[in-house]
Amino acid sequence: MDCCQNRKPWWRRWRSGPDEARKLKAEGELKKVALVGNPNVGKSVLFNRLTGIYVTVSNYPGTTVEVARGKGRFGGEEFEIIDTPGMYSLLPITEEERVARRLLIAERPNAVLHVVDARNLERMLPLTFQLIEAGLPLILVLNIMDEARRRGIRIDCERLAQALGIPVVPVAAALNEGLDLLRKKVTEVVARAA
Amino acid sequence: MSPGQLRPSYPEAVEKGAERITQLLHGHYHLAPRAVALLLLQEDAEVGDLVRRQEGSARWRAIQAVVGEVKKQVAEPLSYILAVRRQEAARALARAVISREKGRRRTWSEVLGDLTMRPLVGIPVLILVLYFGLYQFVGVFGAGTVVDYLEGSIFEAYINPWVNGMVDRLIPWPLVQDLIAHEYGIVTLGLRYAVAIILPIVGSFFLVFSVIEDSGYLPRLALLVDRLFKGIGLSGRAVIPLTLGFGCDTMATLVSRTLETRRERIIATLLLALAIPCSAQLGVILSLLAAYPKALLVWAGFLILVFLLVGYLTAQLLPGDGPSFYMEVPPLRLPQLGNVLTKTYTRIQWYLMEIVPLFVLASVLIWLGRITGLFDLIVRALGTVVGYLGLPPKAGEAFLFGFFRRDYGAAGLYDLAASGALSPRQLTVAAATLTLFVPCIAQFSVMVKERGWATALAIAGFIFPFAFLAGYVLNLLLTVAGVLG
Repeated sequence: MDCCQNRKPWWRRWRSGPDEARKLKAEGELKKVALVGNPNVGKSVLFNRLTGIYVTVSNYPGTTVEVARGKGRFGGEEFEIIDTPGMYSLLPITEEERVARRLLIAERPNAVLHVVDARNLERMLPLTFQLIEAGLPLILVLNIMDEARRRGIRIDCERLAQALGIPVVPVAAALNEGLDLLRKKVTEVVARAA
Repeated sequence: MSPGQLRPSYPEAVEKGAERITQLLHGHYHLAPRAVALLLLQEDAEVGDLVRRQEGSARWRAIQAVVGEVKKQVAEPLSYILAVRRQEAARALARAVISREKGRRRTWSEVLGDLTMRPLVGIPVLILVLYFGLYQFVGVFGAGTVVDYLEGSIFEAYINPWVNGMVDRLIPWPLVQDLIAHEYGIVTLGLRYAVAIILPIVGSFFLVFSVIEDSGYLPRLALLVDRLFKGIGLSGRAVIPLTLGFGCDTMATLVSRTLETRRERIIATLLLALAIPCSAQLGVILSLLAAYPKALLVWAGFLILVFLLVGYLTAQLLPGDGPSFYMEVPPLRLPQLGNVLTKTYTRIQWYLMEIVPLFVLASVLIWLGRITGLFDLIVRALGTVVGYLGLPPKAGEAFLFGFFRRDYGAAGLYDLAASGALSPRQLTVAAATLTLFVPCIAQFSVMVKERGWATALAIAGFIFPFAFLAGYVLNLLLTVAGVLG
């Protein structure tokens, strides 16, 4: 029920008119980190952890239908963190997938975190390939590692990173695991892209 | 396996075509030229527009010629071919980096999760969820116990008399007194509705709903009802916006953008506006009808019938193909208390931001309407209309309130029923008509935003007469059948 992505009440919504374009406009000079990935992989949980801002989190695909923004401080620098609706492919089918892609094109984030569900890596990799093809400054975030481990799934992150040619970070966002390493990798990728 | 195999490679015709398109691209796209070329080959409309604007018509025609050539060289649609190649590369890479421990047993949550998608288990589970979650917790506890306490023991006993007394003593003008206090005042009517009737109902609903959401039950429900929904032009995917509607139709309308086709989105928007009562309205109606189980059954059955009938007819009338259905089913999880509470809290906060100003505005408008006599005029006109439904003229007031918010209207009915002015049959007809009746102002504004003025007005224009017609038919049926006296 996504009241909480769109928290502006009706009396302000009405006054402001069509807001997508304005929302997508740059919010100043902060470097940007965008969270993208299939629906229901925990992008919003990660967003909550990185920014300390609460956006609605649920256990079903499609909870986030609009872009949410917040700030997070990694390694002494402040970043703008952007949470996006889930997308299955760079070739969008539904409106919320289009929202995510438009954001990638319009805002040129300094780092893009492709968040995936470690339990279903195979299903998520096609989007990783597309994001690499698009030439985005990408980090692959293997989320929900805790449940994957419990199911007996082991992932060779180093080998994966080598094969893809991008950093790979295993995390369990819900348990706050692996986030320090992720923050470090983000600053590295941003520094390299600059 | 060589490292090269781990990235997708596309057929030569595609690679060559992409290469040629890349050379034709001179603009800035913020995506790698090869990716833009691949999207153009897959005939992505949005990227196509972007490229046509930046490259001008000569180069755009050249690009289209390349796309046409490549299409002729391959047998299947390009988007399909590329997806298959990427899938193959993903499989190879996943095999190379993932190892699985063998002999692991399925967990109880996986077993239960699969069972809920089978009708034999799924339908009883659905009934249990509805009975305990909605009826017992929201209807009986939230809308009954808590509302009775806040309404009767707090507002009626302490706050209203105190406010009325203070206002009468401090403000000499009866006109201004009426604005704040008495029957329709901002505090005595607006705040009372918001805090004592709506808040407990919405709060308990949001709590139950957060638990259901986080458990991963909804996508399973979607699979369960997929077949039924196909008949009304929707896919199982629509379960999520439609069940969200039981929370708040306004937000559900916003979420309907997750549906794939425009046709599906329009059908879902219509059904949300027409036949899905929001939690506040639902709670008030549950508590109104709880005393007459038969009336509750008639009301629910009638709405389900309208929902299916209107859905079916719209699906027949609107052009377009039926939807396909594909949805990931997440694992069943035990909801985390922290997330459930935070989510419930942020939703209640959002909800109050949304409604309190509206309730105050409604009180002010009613006050203005009463001064000018417009209020009585409209109530009398609506009174005549509701007369056809076999309702007393005073019920017209509840319908007028319904314009502001669905729940506000239902709450108006609550006052009327509390004074014993309605028979079970009248109550059932009024509740059913009011449920169907116009979407609230907030929902309408989102309908306009998401679907456009034309569609939103068409939907509202259909609902207004339809609600009364349906109420008329229901009253007729109940009178003829002689049920509910």
